[in-house]
Amino acid sequence: MTLTPEPLTVALGAIPNSGKTTLFNRLTGADQSTGNWPGVSVEKKSGAFVLGEYTITLIDLPGAYALSPVTQEEQVVRDYFLQSPPDIVLNVVDARNLYRGLGLTLQLGLSGLPMVVCVNMIDEARRQGMVPDIKVLSQHLGVPVIGLSARTGEGIPELQEALYEVIKHPEKTRLPHISCPPLLEKAFVDLAGKISRAEIDTRLDHTFLAMRLLEEDSPHQWLQNNQVAAIAQQLRRHLEQTLKTSIPVACADCRFNAARGLALEAMHGQPVLEDRLSKALDRILLHRWFGLPIFFLLMLLLFQGVYGLGGPLQELLAFAFDQVGSWLAGSQPMTALPAWLQSFLLEGLWQGMAVVTSFFPLIALFFIFMSLIEDSGYMARAAFLMDRLMHHLGLDGKAFISILLGYGCNVPAVMGTRILTSNYSRVMTMLLIPFTLCTARLQIFVFLAAIFFSAAVAPWIIFLLYVFSFFAIIIMGLVLKLFHIGGRPEPFIMEMPPYRLPTVRSVGLRTWHELKDFLSRAATFIMAGVLLVWFLIHMPIDAQPASAATWAGQLGQALAPVFKPLGIGWQETVTLIFGFIAKEIVLGGLAVIYGGANLAAHMTGHISALQAISFMLFCLLYTPCVATIAAIWTESRSIKITAISLGSGLVFAWITSFIFYQTGLLFGFS
Amino acid sequence: MPQQMPVSALQAQCECIIRSLGSDEKTVQRLAQMGILPGSHLRVIRVAPLGGTIEVMVGQGQSFALRQEEVAAMTCEPVAMPLVSELIIAGQNYRIRTLLGGGTFRRRMEKQGVKEGILVQVNKSGKKPLPVHLVDSGEDVELGEGEAKKLIVEVTAGDLDS
Repeated sequence: MTLTPEPLTVALGAIPNSGKTTLFNRLTGADQSTGNWPGVSVEKKSGAFVLGEYTITLIDLPGAYALSPVTQEEQVVRDYFLQSPPDIVLNVVDARNLYRGLGLTLQLGLSGLPMVVCVNMIDEARRQGMVPDIKVLSQHLGVPVIGLSARTGEGIPELQEALYEVIKHPEKTRLPHISCPPLLEKAFVDLAGKISRAEIDTRLDHTFLAMRLLEEDSPHQWLQNNQVAAIAQQLRRHLEQTLKTSIPVACADCRFNAARGLALEAMHGQPVLEDRLSKALDRILLHRWFGLPIFFLLMLLLFQGVYGLGGPLQELLAFAFDQVGSWLAGSQPMTALPAWLQSFLLEGLWQGMAVVTSFFPLIALFFIFMSLIEDSGYMARAAFLMDRLMHHLGLDGKAFISILLGYGCNVPAVMGTRILTSNYSRVMTMLLIPFTLCTARLQIFVFLAAIFFSAAVAPWIIFLLYVFSFFAIIIMGLVLKLFHIGGRPEPFIMEMPPYRLPTVRSVGLRTWHELKDFLSRAATFIMAGVLLVWFLIHMPIDAQPASAATWAGQLGQALAPVFKPLGIGWQETVTLIFGFIAKEIVLGGLAVIYGGANLAAHMTGHISALQAISFMLFCLLYTPCVATIAAIWTESRSIKITAISLGSGLVFAWITSFIFYQTGLLFGFS
Repeated sequence: MPQQMPVSALQAQCECIIRSLGSDEKTVQRLAQMGILPGSHLRVIRVAPLGGTIEVMVGQGQSFALRQEEVAAMTCEPVAMPLVSELIIAGQNYRIRTLLGGGTFRRRMEKQGVKEGILVQVNKSGKKPLPVHLVDSGEDVELGEGEAKKLIVEVTAGDLDS
């Protein structure tokens, strides 16, 4: 059979927690690609599969409750439907709670685009003894409805068949019916008539388009025809005055009235049962006294799981890279090359590859554990438990987990912000994570604390740095909130999904895609950063690496007046440039500058304890490493956010070190 | 006229009918899109350990977390509450809807004639143990605070209409 050349677009739309992603994975397997929706920090996933003679591009739309947007995700979905409607809509509802999902189903059905509805988790519904009548749903919605389980694969062949049938005979589907108050109904019909007469070119049903325009604040944005848009706006104002409620709310009311009736009919009047397992688990996990201790215990396990397992793996990789590196350095073709080229290949390229690879174990483990927590339904519980603490920053409890994991490594933690619910939380959290004391920074602090302080004092210095990092996050959070960097916080109205056993398949696929993404999106950025630093340290060609004559040395000296009030000399400034590759390289940088052997003696002879602490504070807060910056850039797709992250760190670090060092001097330390 | 109160002021296990979604446009729209609308039945399941956030069940089987601060303007009409509650009006009839405790608690209550479906009255609230008048049998019993908290009573139909 030959494939038709033009792929058909099928858009997968559903409310959150209906198993949409599982179905997406089930249909497309590993054939997926990820990106961002234009201009926003919302993830865009698409995949492909073959259906008879058709190639299908499946677009995984962000979870949305309705086409009248409140969140950025919903804006993306609304824009998508109005600007580039798909060939077919694939909608998913949860069999155990039809009412919840049918609101969106009805709205999508009204679009006039051919649609297939999946009643997902039919197996779990059966287990609870409440199977919806698929035929009733299909009759009322006017489109094929398939009961299936995306987890087990039950019903997938039937879904593919139904999709194929709809592609062949799109005319067989019809619109569902929703009754609204007469006033609204009349407005829809009138406006639809105007749209028809204006001969607006659209594949969407005209009544649907009329509804969309009436629900929009600025219909002009969606319509070339200014006259119709003006009428819509006028009509909206008039209706809102008469109905004393906003149009989106009035429409939601009509939809959910219809949804309630339809759900009741499909369930034959049987009441929706609470999930007994979830109820029992919540009684323990959200318990007034045990809830928080269990949460912290789980967080400890999570942290240990990611970094306890990831650390040794990282070391193993680093060891392997070192071994291969030194073998390369001694190999025949390499020694024949000029010294600068050897250095470029080994300390530039090879080093860059080592940095990129070193993140693999962490990212893999991070997403395995995060998927477990998220897919199981515990993430929502964590958000509930920690909400009180976090909402002062306008964040919810989920952000707490992201920031906490930053204390291991910033890179996966920033990548993990995409699970957060609102744009505000995502932006805020990714800007706050760099102020956590990650394990790479810890290496610097442990080393410096050990050489400048006695064994009894050193652990306290480290402890105080942790405490300080914690306060830095709060201070920075309040500042960022004050300046509305992430926009405005969104109301916290969160669904608590039933607990569910995560599948190996979905956890595995998620992790695999995250690694692939990291390699394709962040790796080049990281390589570029590492190479840039190599050039700074090694150029001009005849200079001693990292010496005063190199670009880095010149930069350090040029910046000397800026760093002098902090007690940081130009040599340390140069090592801060090293730290841009990865924080732990600051140590290597110090070794290079102070001439390697007996670094401790050189350092203590050169700078005081006060200066050392000032340097540590600066290291804690200043610009995160290149991999973190790369992650922030790929997650936010915003130069502004990335620049704020770079800038806020530098400014905050400078102010802190300045205050600390100058106060220290005042009190007679030197 | 049945009393209306903010959802945020409800204690755990209270049930109510939502009357208004409040005034913040974003919050109202969000609630409406999730199917939480005036007329919906809402039950407070629990308050978060640190306070400030509540878990509610709307309609049947949909559970949501809400911030008390953000739903302060959302008003409702309480229909059921624990027997120890500020909402209980002295001298008014309430029907026992559910006993939250296990089998032992249920048997202990039944021994005193307290079971689902009967009408009760509290004449002096705030006393420990709580004196409860059983309307049908005319008997008076005393219940511990912990016991009374596990008795969920509903406003009787007659009082709702008035």
